[in-house]
Amino acid sequence: MSFSVRRVRASRPVRALAATLLAGALLAGCSTFSEEGRDQYERGQGEKPGAEGTDEATESAKPEPPYDVRPLLQPAKDYLGVAADGAPAKMKAVEDFAKRAGKKPNLIEFYSAWGDQYEQELVQNSWDYGSVSFIAWEPFETSMKDIASGKEDAYIREYAKSVKELNLPVALSFAHEMNGFWYPWGTKKTSAADFTAAYKHIHDIFDDEGATQVIWVWSPNVTHPMPKVKLKPYWPGDDYVDWVGVIGYYAATGPNTYETLYGPTMTQIRVFTNKPFIIAETAAQAGERKPADIKSLFQGTAKRDDVIGFVWFNFDKETDWRINSGPLSEKTFREQAKNSSFGFDVTKP
Amino acid sequence: MSDRRTPTWADDSELYDEYAYGQQQSHQQYGNGNNGYPQQNQQHQQYGQGSQQQYAQGNQQQYAPVDEEQQRYAQQESLRQYAQQAQTRPRAQTTYPPQQQAGAYQAGYFTETGSWRFDVHGRTTSYPDQQTYDTYAPYDPYASYTAVEPEPAPAPVAPEPQKPGYTLPPVQESAWAVDTRRSKLLGRGVLLCILLVQAGLSLRLSGTAFQDEALYVASGHYELANLLHGTKLPVDFAAYFSGHPKLYPVLAGAVDSQFGLAGVRLVSLFFMLGATGLLYSLTRRLFNLRAALGAAALFSVLQSTMVLGNFATYDAAAVFLLALSAWAVVRTDRMGAAAVLLAAPPAALAFGVKYASGLYIPTLVVLAVITAHRHRGIRSLGRGVVLGAGIVALLGIGYYFSGPLGGISSTTTDRAKGTDTAATMLQHSAEWGGLVFLAALGGTIAYTVRARMGEMPWIGGETSGRWRRATLGLVLTGTALLAPAYQIHLQTEISLYKHVGFGLFFAAPLAGLGMARLVGPHFRHPQLGILLYVLTLVFGMVQAQRAYSFPDSTQMTTYLRTVVDKKGTYLAEEQEVPAYYLRDKTDWTQWQNSYFMDYRGKDGKQYTGPDAFRQAVRDGKFDAIVMHGSVSPETYKAVKEGLKNNSHYRLAAVFPYTTSSGENAYRIWVKR
Repeated sequence: MSFSVRRVRASRPVRALAATLLAGALLAGCSTFSEEGRDQYERGQGEKPGAEGTDEATESAKPEPPYDVRPLLQPAKDYLGVAADGAPAKMKAVEDFAKRAGKKPNLIEFYSAWGDQYEQELVQNSWDYGSVSFIAWEPFETSMKDIASGKEDAYIREYAKSVKELNLPVALSFAHEMNGFWYPWGTKKTSAADFTAAYKHIHDIFDDEGATQVIWVWSPNVTHPMPKVKLKPYWPGDDYVDWVGVIGYYAATGPNTYETLYGPTMTQIRVFTNKPFIIAETAAQAGERKPADIKSLFQGTAKRDDVIGFVWFNFDKETDWRINSGPLSEKTFREQAKNSSFGFDVTKP
Repeated sequence: MSDRRTPTWADDSELYDEYAYGQQQSHQQYGNGNNGYPQQNQQHQQYGQGSQQQYAQGNQQQYAPVDEEQQRYAQQESLRQYAQQAQTRPRAQTTYPPQQQAGAYQAGYFTETGSWRFDVHGRTTSYPDQQTYDTYAPYDPYASYTAVEPEPAPAPVAPEPQKPGYTLPPVQESAWAVDTRRSKLLGRGVLLCILLVQAGLSLRLSGTAFQDEALYVASGHYELANLLHGTKLPVDFAAYFSGHPKLYPVLAGAVDSQFGLAGVRLVSLFFMLGATGLLYSLTRRLFNLRAALGAAALFSVLQSTMVLGNFATYDAAAVFLLALSAWAVVRTDRMGAAAVLLAAPPAALAFGVKYASGLYIPTLVVLAVITAHRHRGIRSLGRGVVLGAGIVALLGIGYYFSGPLGGISSTTTDRAKGTDTAATMLQHSAEWGGLVFLAALGGTIAYTVRARMGEMPWIGGETSGRWRRATLGLVLTGTALLAPAYQIHLQTEISLYKHVGFGLFFAAPLAGLGMARLVGPHFRHPQLGILLYVLTLVFGMVQAQRAYSFPDSTQMTTYLRTVVDKKGTYLAEEQEVPAYYLRDKTDWTQWQNSYFMDYRGKDGKQYTGPDAFRQAVRDGKFDAIVMHGSVSPETYKAVKEGLKNNSHYRLAAVFPYTTSSGENAYRIWVKR
């Protein structure tokens, strides 16, 4: 009996010591189970800290690689683009254009106002038809300063995520005709520095989100309406732009040859960049000269290797820009479009 | 008065065998001090028997009307019969008659009738005026009177043999903790459960190849080709590896060719399970079964054990080899001094596999001395010398044949000093191994104070060798501190989360012992042991989940596969990962790491460090760039600067990933 008493006495301090040490270890190990530790654990599990579900994890595990737009940047053949009424929500106008032109367009331009969501359905429609979408993103009701300062980041980020999610190539032309005075983002209300800052900011957010499916278009108007506005200050930089989308129409007045209409602008741009040109918006005013203008457009584009195509503004707006404004125009367009260097399969450029 | 019929079991030798043997021994050992104990026990058995008898025989007579006289007569008659039987029948128990204990002080003895008689020849006879009575056991209300009629004469039975047809094995001193066959089997069963749990805990971790895994497995393929076909190595792996590139990497490469990364990781799991098994075995030999189970249980749920069991690096192999060496040291403790040389090859191989294992070779040598000291005394020093010399000789031979190994100094002995503070490292080490270390410390103290847990009070109290025990405990427990101490000296925390496991292996036997002592004799406090195990398990699981968290490279490599060819040059952070996964499409040398670079720019200037990366990106030297910035932030910054206003590259893909340290993304730039 005396033996067991001694035993208990002997082991009591040992056990007390062990208990103290255990408590010490617990304190030392507190950071394992701290708030931060729990976050780390959850992230380690591939979950968002604090989140209940694991949506994030499943999304990031999406196996599809991002669409590689590089082959579309400088294809061997030229784009035959069109902007048509209601397209690409409804493809009737585009199909009509294709029937008259004798060739399916492979670039469809449409307009998106600032604040609109990225219209995945339209881009998908267009892609299903066989065309790359070309979105002119018009920053109405905001200012370049606000965009550059980050006030619009949430919207831009949302847009970028949406682009990434759809994973289809899209040409994005932000604040086109910035060198003109007629838009709110034009020369009258916005400085060149603000424009480039906003442009770069948007681009950076897209990069940050990994929306690499965008073909970045920098789209100035041809310089002849405002020859004093120099383009170089508006240039964001080679790492920010894929296409230089020059906009210029064959109007009743003004230059009416390819060289005189686009030449001076292109020459000016070639001083600071070698990025490929695309005629981002063009058409010819209805009139006797229209067939000749169409011919000039096709042949001028085909002749220059650094021009990768054009987008025909097929609207009856202010004046009838459509190719079917006259039978001769339509016929000329069809003949010129027969040139095999126009149009190609965008999935296999 | 006693109207109890003396039960027949008193003659039953089997009962004595089973219950009374030990008591008999103690009876002889301690004399009268224990007299109360066996008697009590016997009475207890009497009750049992008595009640059985009651039901067996009493039922018939209980309600029969018998007069008092008859009853008394019957009582006396049966008692007389029984006494006669007891006298005439040969007794199987030959050890009990009181005359055998004539020498010892005897306060009483069993009478022939089976009852207890006090002090017959002592006090009672000193009063001659008193009549001496037989003193019977106290009145037992449950023992009923049963036999009314004389029992029929027992059927003639074959005479019992003089000697029993069996011999009892010698009873071991420590009947509770002995390694009987049953306890061995039980121990192995529990060990199997521990190993299953360990395997499950390791296998629940998953991920694509970590940088180091990719490096070793990929280098293994090149080393294998070099060994088999003499193919030139892309780089001198030996110059910067922390283990010999012709050992583990070759094994990993060979397994990878057959079973892929999962197979290589499975090999690591087998190594770690083997280490746990050896730990169990050596602890059982050093201490006892319970300590062995405790050690295996605690070691199996450590963060480092879980991680290394699913990690295709040297570490698991090195732990296993160290374990094998330690096991050999303990196993050969009673053999000749030369036998300890069996421990030398695994120890030397462990060093070859991972140079950092060398830190634990002194522990093995000291262990060789301590384990033999009990049997050899001062000559045990010779054993240590033999082991040390053996290991050194083997290493010398190995070094002679392997040629220069720049990796030893660059990765292990003379590693570039880091900037991690001692406090952080100590805190982290405490988190990773603190519980087990404390348990080992407790074990050491308890072991020093008492060699055995007092489960059997009649076994001697003091055991000699307190200094030996204290040294053994301190050496093994102190080994757990080696890795943190050394890394604090180097000021770098790299891989410390793995290295703590090496030392904890050595501390684990004492942690197991500590756990056994915490549970206490006769499993008095199982909850404390469970608490310790569960705490270690929870810490281990959480920490392992955190440590085993690296970028998921699946998408990155899938995308790069579409980009790379046999000619390009690629800059990649943790370039080993894509170089390993894309080794069929690219060569090792096509991948530029993000740590060091010397570059002669197109402007003719020589650049190093981040400047070299910046200029190389400006010049468009790389065909693809893969960065995430969490491993080499300096380079990442330089690359980003190089990409500014750079028309060579275009961001091609961003693959976000989540690790325990936060969200990040692989960014891949490709040439336009």
